[in-house]
Amino acid sequence: MDKKQFEQYNSIPKEKFTFATQGEMIHDKKLDTKAVSHAKDSFRRFCKNKASVVAAIILGIIILLAIFGPVVTGADIDRVSVREQFLEPKLFEAGTGFWDGTKKYTNVIYDTEGKVPAGFYAPAVMNLVVDEEPTAVNMASPFGKGGFVMFENQMAVEDDTPDDGEDDEDVVTTVLTSSTLSSDTFYVSASGNYMVNIALGDTNGINEGQLGQFRIYLKNGDDIILLKSWSTDYTSVALNLSGALQAKGIEEIADARLVFELKSAADTYSYLLIESCVFTANASETEAHLARLEKIGFTDATEMVLRAKDGLGVFPEGYWSCVGRKGVYASIVYYCSFTFDTYAAVYDQTEVVYAKSDMDYFESMGWCTYNPDIGPESFEKLSDDCPIESIVSQKVNSRTGELLEFTAMSYRYKQMGYKKMPKFIFGTDSSGVDVFSRMFAGLRTSLVLGVATFAFCFLFGLVWGSISGYFGGIVDLSMERFCDILGGVPWLVVMTLCILHLGNNFFTFFLALCMTGWMGTAGLTRTQFYRFKGMEHVLAARTLGARDVRLIFKHILPNSLGTIITSSVLMIPSVIYSEATLAYLNLGLQGVTSFGVMLANNQQYLQSHSYLIIIPSVVMALMMISFNLFGNGLRDAVNPTLKGSEG
Amino acid sequence: MWKYVLKRIGLALLTAFIVLSLTYILIRMLPAQKFVGTPAQQTAYYDHEVTMGYMYKSETPVEGGELVDKVTYEDYSVVYYYKMPVMVQYFSWLGNIITRWDWGRSVSIQPNVDVTVILGTRLATSMKLNVISIFTSLPLGIGLGIWAALKKNKMTDHIISTVVMILIALPGFVLFTFLLLAFCYNGSLPTQWPNPTDPTSWKAAGYVLPIICLSLGSICGYCRFVRAELCEVMESEYLLLARTKGLTRGQAIVRHALKNAMVPIFPSILAEFLGIMGGSTILERLYGIPGIGDLFVRSMNAASPDYNVLFVDMAIFTTFGLLAGVLLDMSYGFIDPRIRMGAR
Repeated sequence: MDKKQFEQYNSIPKEKFTFATQGEMIHDKKLDTKAVSHAKDSFRRFCKNKASVVAAIILGIIILLAIFGPVVTGADIDRVSVREQFLEPKLFEAGTGFWDGTKKYTNVIYDTEGKVPAGFYAPAVMNLVVDEEPTAVNMASPFGKGGFVMFENQMAVEDDTPDDGEDDEDVVTTVLTSSTLSSDTFYVSASGNYMVNIALGDTNGINEGQLGQFRIYLKNGDDIILLKSWSTDYTSVALNLSGALQAKGIEEIADARLVFELKSAADTYSYLLIESCVFTANASETEAHLARLEKIGFTDATEMVLRAKDGLGVFPEGYWSCVGRKGVYASIVYYCSFTFDTYAAVYDQTEVVYAKSDMDYFESMGWCTYNPDIGPESFEKLSDDCPIESIVSQKVNSRTGELLEFTAMSYRYKQMGYKKMPKFIFGTDSSGVDVFSRMFAGLRTSLVLGVATFAFCFLFGLVWGSISGYFGGIVDLSMERFCDILGGVPWLVVMTLCILHLGNNFFTFFLALCMTGWMGTAGLTRTQFYRFKGMEHVLAARTLGARDVRLIFKHILPNSLGTIITSSVLMIPSVIYSEATLAYLNLGLQGVTSFGVMLANNQQYLQSHSYLIIIPSVVMALMMISFNLFGNGLRDAVNPTLKGSEG
Repeated sequence: MWKYVLKRIGLALLTAFIVLSLTYILIRMLPAQKFVGTPAQQTAYYDHEVTMGYMYKSETPVEGGELVDKVTYEDYSVVYYYKMPVMVQYFSWLGNIITRWDWGRSVSIQPNVDVTVILGTRLATSMKLNVISIFTSLPLGIGLGIWAALKKNKMTDHIISTVVMILIALPGFVLFTFLLLAFCYNGSLPTQWPNPTDPTSWKAAGYVLPIICLSLGSICGYCRFVRAELCEVMESEYLLLARTKGLTRGQAIVRHALKNAMVPIFPSILAEFLGIMGGSTILERLYGIPGIGDLFVRSMNAASPDYNVLFVDMAIFTTFGLLAGVLLDMSYGFIDPRIRMGAR
């Protein structure tokens, strides 16, 4: 291959060998090639660095989004709409499985009666899978069934020593008491054949405790009528209440209580499991007494434990009061897993009542037609502008037959003022604000802060460094010492002092960042001046009578400006980073939407709504990486000494 | 040389003095923080301030005085405490530091406890974390750097360099967040700094995430630095000479290249040792580590700032920062015989 390529050169005739410039007189000739300016050359070399170009493009997109993004979406980022909070990011239609505004839930308790996961809006639930086997949980859930009442005698008392900030060991002292579980009052008589059937559980070793000794008695005021003395027999037991009364010679008790007592164990904590407790009596007893007995007894332990105070703080009939702790053991629940369409739950159709005048208006706009004489099925929707989807029922004046009002199905988003189903590509945050708008509005603030700080620090640093570097000597020395002292203060300290003295606002941040930020540029400028001020072209200009100002601005600065600018540009991301850092330290910018504050505020939702923190983090990371790559590429491109080195 | 060293240390001390003085005066210009507690505790705190010379007390209200607080006792007697003028406080403070090393007492973080004691316990935690992270990052960073330099412009190098570039650009809290999501919420690592009552294994697991977070940055820093240095040395002529006189590649690298490449790296390790102290503030805050960074944020708490603690914390940050700078500059001279310290 190689040989063939060069074969043609093997036999070149002799005439072809002539001198190209023979006999020509060259005094001065312009270059044929076009002159390339420094900027053009820099740009060409920058473009060769692929990574930097990609970074520049990403950076451009992010900056454009920051400037125009919030304007385009038109979202009001200060509006709080709690109903719309925590909507998942949605780009595709619900059900596609990815980025579709749905959230996957697993191990949610299933409401077997309502046929829906407990506490969720049924129409928004998709791909529902209910566990075939029930699960026993030790927790009283309204959707649980059965199990045992777990009646414990442990009372943990936490020592409440003040938090001294050190390794604070909370001392937990356990007080073991004899504890009782007593029923609500009920009527019992010696003649009524009152019985109670109690079923106990015999599972030992729950929570490292053990079944304790118990006894059962009837309580008549302060008197005790023993039904079953201390026992460890955990089987079903039927107790004759009337018999016990007869034995004591008592005719009737109006407000008896059935009490379980658990003996206090010395070291380990103990408990008793009660599966059910059913009262029976002769059918001839008064209805009120029988109803009361039914209320007090229980066959479903979960239901018994859930009997609690109502909204006014009154205990319901049949409440069992407890000295000790009562809970549920092995309550039967069904778990399910499903996908939940967060958007459907918020924006779906709901029933709304409209007046006749509304219908007149809709019809006059030509959105729909409706004939009240025929009824709901005559409704016809003609335009998408119509807020009504269908009519459920109507109410007419019975005398005149005139339409008064009607109930219709209507999408809630239309009631909220949206034209079509909203779609938040990055979801919404805790106050129902579009994350996309919020994030880029915040980024805009951060960018403005960054650019403003950069502009000030760059100009100030340039002047400071020029003077320091150009004049040298005592001027340089004193200026350097000043920088040493100011530079010795950590920026966090400067920031803190500024915030403490001037309050927390945009200007304070700007001031504090400027106070420490300019020294980098100043130092760099100073070194560049030291490099260039001794050069021959400067000396030549000086001998020709150029003044200091001219030397600085005409002969030295232009040589070093590229390097200084490109290095200082990296100040912008560092300002954004500093601002976010401060927000994480609870010192964030207040009164303005900033990127860092948003990130820091969302940190608490990391586990429950991780998209709120992942998306801004990814944007932040992308921006930082892009800034760095772009800055490095630019620095290499404008550095004339690297010309041609990249090959 | 010793003259130069002394001069540098003297300058650093002078700088520290000026900075701390300014910080002290600026903090003392803020309204003094009230001590919340029982009259006995209040008296203990305020009387200490009085003996330190920062306040004066009076049984009757003083016209024109800057009132800090008035303490009402059970028998309804009242004592007023007033702030001394700022410059008087400043000179008292100087005297207290020099004669008694007394930095004041805490107002709200650990009421009535000497701030140096608080700082001492906190500093130990921060130190422990930072020392461990340095010892993990050093071998890893240098090792990766050497590996990348030896495989220069090959796939390994590209992968290492790219990862290093990304990790360096990534803000610390973003990295922390991602690690937390990846490793902690599935229960394998604690999501918060473990309590002292937790089992030892869990406490040990608590170190994993902070150390990864702290050391990843340094690993990348070392790696990039070592790679750049080693690449430069590898192209030098004396290394070529070493090879031509018969040394194997390994011998040449270990005996000649590495030794010289380490010259600028070693000082940076020393400086890092001190410099990292202030760098973990965010991490301590987010992970709830009881260190000096966390202390800093707590003492800045808007509801009840604790200026004495804040000031000592700032003093620590400043001093460490300055010391790191001096150490960095001087260690160059000690390690590299070619650099003459103090030369003009």
